[in-house]
Amino acid sequence: MTSRRDFLRILAAGAAGAMLPVRRLGALVPPHPPAATFGVARGTDTAAIVRKAVELVGGMGSFVDKGDVVFVKPNISWDKKPEQAATTNPVVVETVVKMVTEAGAKKIVVADNTCNDARRTYKRSGIKEAAEGAGAKVPFMEKRGFVSTNICGSVMSDWKVYREAMEADKIINVPIAKHHGLSDVTLSMKNLMGLIGGRRDLLHQNLPECVVDLAAYFKPTLNILDSVRLLKANGPQGSTLKDVVELNTVAASADPVRIDAFGISLFGDTIFSNDPEAFPHIEEAVKRGLGRSDFSGEGYMEANLG
Amino acid sequence: MKNLRRFSQILFLALFFFLFIQTEYKGSDELGLPVKFFLDFDPLIALSTMLATHTVKAVFLFSLITIVVTVFFGRVFCGWVCPLGTLNTIVGWFRMRRGRPTPNDGRFPRLRPVKYFILVFILVAAVFGWNAAGILDPISLTIRSLAIGYNPGVNRIVRSILETAYAIDVPGISPAADAVYSAMVGTVLAFEQPVFRQMIPIALIFSVILGLNLLAPRFWCRYLCPLGAMLGIIGTRQMMARVDVNSEKCVSCGTCNRTCQGDATPFPPGQWASRECLVCWNCRDVCPCTAVSIHPTMRKTGEGNVDLERRWLLSTGAAALLSVPIVTLGEHRERVHPELIRPPGALPEKDFVKTCVKCGECMKVCLTNGLQPTLHQAGLEGLWTPILVPKLGYCEYHCNLCTQVCPTGAIQKISLKKKQKTKIGLATLDRSRCIPYTYNRNCGVCEEHCPAQGKAIRFEEEESVDRRGRPFVLKKPYVIPQICIGCGICENKCPVVDIPAIRISPINESRHDARLYL
Repeated sequence: MTSRRDFLRILAAGAAGAMLPVRRLGALVPPHPPAATFGVARGTDTAAIVRKAVELVGGMGSFVDKGDVVFVKPNISWDKKPEQAATTNPVVVETVVKMVTEAGAKKIVVADNTCNDARRTYKRSGIKEAAEGAGAKVPFMEKRGFVSTNICGSVMSDWKVYREAMEADKIINVPIAKHHGLSDVTLSMKNLMGLIGGRRDLLHQNLPECVVDLAAYFKPTLNILDSVRLLKANGPQGSTLKDVVELNTVAASADPVRIDAFGISLFGDTIFSNDPEAFPHIEEAVKRGLGRSDFSGEGYMEANLG
Repeated sequence: MKNLRRFSQILFLALFFFLFIQTEYKGSDELGLPVKFFLDFDPLIALSTMLATHTVKAVFLFSLITIVVTVFFGRVFCGWVCPLGTLNTIVGWFRMRRGRPTPNDGRFPRLRPVKYFILVFILVAAVFGWNAAGILDPISLTIRSLAIGYNPGVNRIVRSILETAYAIDVPGISPAADAVYSAMVGTVLAFEQPVFRQMIPIALIFSVILGLNLLAPRFWCRYLCPLGAMLGIIGTRQMMARVDVNSEKCVSCGTCNRTCQGDATPFPPGQWASRECLVCWNCRDVCPCTAVSIHPTMRKTGEGNVDLERRWLLSTGAAALLSVPIVTLGEHRERVHPELIRPPGALPEKDFVKTCVKCGECMKVCLTNGLQPTLHQAGLEGLWTPILVPKLGYCEYHCNLCTQVCPTGAIQKISLKKKQKTKIGLATLDRSRCIPYTYNRNCGVCEEHCPAQGKAIRFEEEESVDRRGRPFVLKKPYVIPQICIGCGICENKCPVVDIPAIRISPINESRHDARLYL
């Protein structure tokens, strides 16, 4: 015989139980089709393909939490215009900043440790104007902003790291795919060199190990590869516009190895090989378990927006 | 009236500092503001450069305005406009304050001729091809001393204070220091800490000039300034502002002499030296018996003007004449010095040295701090002229700011397109220091940074084996001299930092056909 008290208890528990799963399920069931782990979007509307690529991997909301401090790391290294494809496309950066804002981030910082004079590259790349317009802070990386930290890598140990990037809740890595004279390609992992200071010139002697050390240390929450324009020769800064092809492609994934593997596939016969495993940094990253090199495998989704 | 004069002095000094601070990259490829404004109105720079180069440039016409004003009003430029004059007034004020109340306190009338001899020396030397005006011209001297001598130190001190405050992790202090720092960098402070060769000697010379004010107020303006001497001569008649002392009203207190900014001795009546008068109006304003008046006149004036004895004038001229062959005799005229990398747009060396007035504006504006003053590289005639020191800073590919600020056209204004084709030197590779060649390791930093159209640094690839026996592709850089413009970014970024493995020398520069060897 159930007492009234027990009945009420069961009723309350049942009501609570009925409410809980509904909320949990709400989080589990995405508003879109099941999220991929690797998204590629193609199309001439740059802002739209950035949004699509991120949407395919679950939307910015699944990477950035409300109230986060987010560090967005584009490539602003060179004193070149966007059409020279030596720096990340400003529209890509702008769209990423907007998406991060929409996801509820408290503060967004966009910065890079540049090769040419930062005042020039920030302006000429169009990134400062675009990112500030979208509401991000775009400071110059000054010497005092770097602190010594142990990167605990295979070749890198104590190194100067940009404090704001280190202390940010999330790092969104927004590289541009480019040819590179020394490492053949520069993609998501190498882009992280812009978060460190010190004698970066020395890293070139062990470039593959170093970029993997950096990827392992910074662990960007999301990598968004800009290949709207691809610099296929004379990288990383390019020479003439003949070195640039339009691909109108953006890829997004939390896995930097997969992003780099995908990037390699974009170059066609302009580089020595399109087999990701032939690139020492990919080989090294896979060996260390940072990700997969078969980018088109499980969880790959593609959208063509035309 | 003297308050009006003070107002004018402060206004022009403020304008000078504003333009000085603006002589930096502020986000636009064109500077826009006339940062060389003061030099444009400087007749000594104009005259000396015209004499030395035998050319007349349109920009020198501005100085005619100064000349016309001086003819009518005397040395108003010195008294009301000159930034160095105002700095001297400010320092000299301390001397005036504690001076002994005698009419001749702080005056050295015997030194008055010195500045005229300096002027004569400069002009005679210019006629024979040595343009020395810039060394002692007050505007050039001030810009150079502040840019190269004082600015690095001021930046260093302010930055150290703010950085220390920033590093102290106390709530409230760090963010405050950060805010002040952010507001100051790129506005009042330089974007990057400037570093200049010869900072200390150039700052010391200027400090001595300022310090001389403690001996006599405006010592420099009274006894040394060649521009002051030139304007004094031009304005001898000073017909609109003649100082007169009414001897019937005068009680011989000597207050006018003591407050005289120049060394013009309004007292005793009839001894006033128009060439020494800075038109400061102090004498009229302080006279207790209103005996001093300043008014226009057509009468001949300046009874007290210093008599420049002919033998001294001739001796000075002779000294200048004899100095020219000595100054232009030297190693630098025989062979180009390996460090003599001139900025893009520089005239051929002989013309460049005659035209450059060593103001240092190009060094101040240089984006990378690579332009530095010479010491011996261009001989004494080329002292403090600009050279690129790639180890300290390279020539930014898309920048031509130095060509925009040159007051005399020693660095011609050239378009970016032309600049990017102008060879200022050539990179040479030192294979015994280069990492891939010597240590069998990849590096490639120079190739990565080379901005030249078509890449002046390329790789020669070679199958190699690392020390663990693993095969790899060794990329050995080499330079293509037809493409290299000598910007020096490769030398600047070379990881071999002490003696870079790739270095720029002025050989193959396009301003000399004789040096184009490739």
